[in-house]
Amino acid sequence: MTTPRFDELIHAPTRLSLVAFLAATTWADFTVLRDSVGLSDSALSKQLTTLADAGYVEIRKAFVGKRPRTSARLTADGRTAFDRHVSALQEIVARAGGSVIPTESQA
Amino acid sequence: MNEDIEAAEAARALEEIGRRREQVVRRKVFPAWYWWAHAGLMVVLAAAVEHGGGVALGVGIGVFVAGGLTLDVPVSRRARAAAPYRGLGGPEASRRTLIGLVGFIAVVLGVAVAVGLSLRAAGAPYPATSAAVAAGLVFAIAGPMLVRLEANMLLRRGRR
Repeated sequence: MTTPRFDELIHAPTRLSLVAFLAATTWADFTVLRDSVGLSDSALSKQLTTLADAGYVEIRKAFVGKRPRTSARLTADGRTAFDRHVSALQEIVARAGGSVIPTESQA
Repeated sequence: MNEDIEAAEAARALEEIGRRREQVVRRKVFPAWYWWAHAGLMVVLAAAVEHGGGVALGVGIGVFVAGGLTLDVPVSRRARAAAPYRGLGGPEASRRTLIGLVGFIAVVLGVAVAVGLSLRAAGAPYPATSAAVAAGLVFAIAGPMLVRLEANMLLRRGRR
């Protein structure tokens, strides 16, 4: 049972999209993240650094041949924070009687 | 708990989380040609085995192995670029995926063996190559279906 805890850092719209995407992956390449979430290179770097500073994201830089390749993943702390944030959101919706629960793409 | 967050906003956030999960699960890893190209390689190998030994067999095996690697390396790289998290479909997901994969291989092999043996019993020419064509068709049609099924299952289970 996850203890609900609203997380301001995760809830910011861009970071929510980013963390939600990372939560569904093991590792995600920088380019895939950038294209999927629709951010510029610099905006994505900034958000990833913010999340890494909070200990929510681990960033890995490697070379494939001569090409640099950056990947990111949620740390255990990041995953826990995300799960608790999702529980908090679900609790807020449940308290409102579930009348605002989206129907189609709900996780 | 942040009391300032309204239920509608929380619901929108949950919807966004669901959308991103679906984006990962439905990310196109296998191009449509991938399945048909593999099916073609199966036919090439069967024809090489059936049409004789020596050079033809060597070339057939070489084309099959080199072609398979050429097809699989970029697809596998693309899959690793954002591989779905293992716990995404719940604790039973890996077992279900394995069952699906084993079932798929069993059906493809079953079609190949059944068609091959039937054609050989009927005295038809090139039974192994014809069996590979039939199995290749099943492979190319059922492969994308299996991927879609797996994605739907992950999303359905993830919502529970």
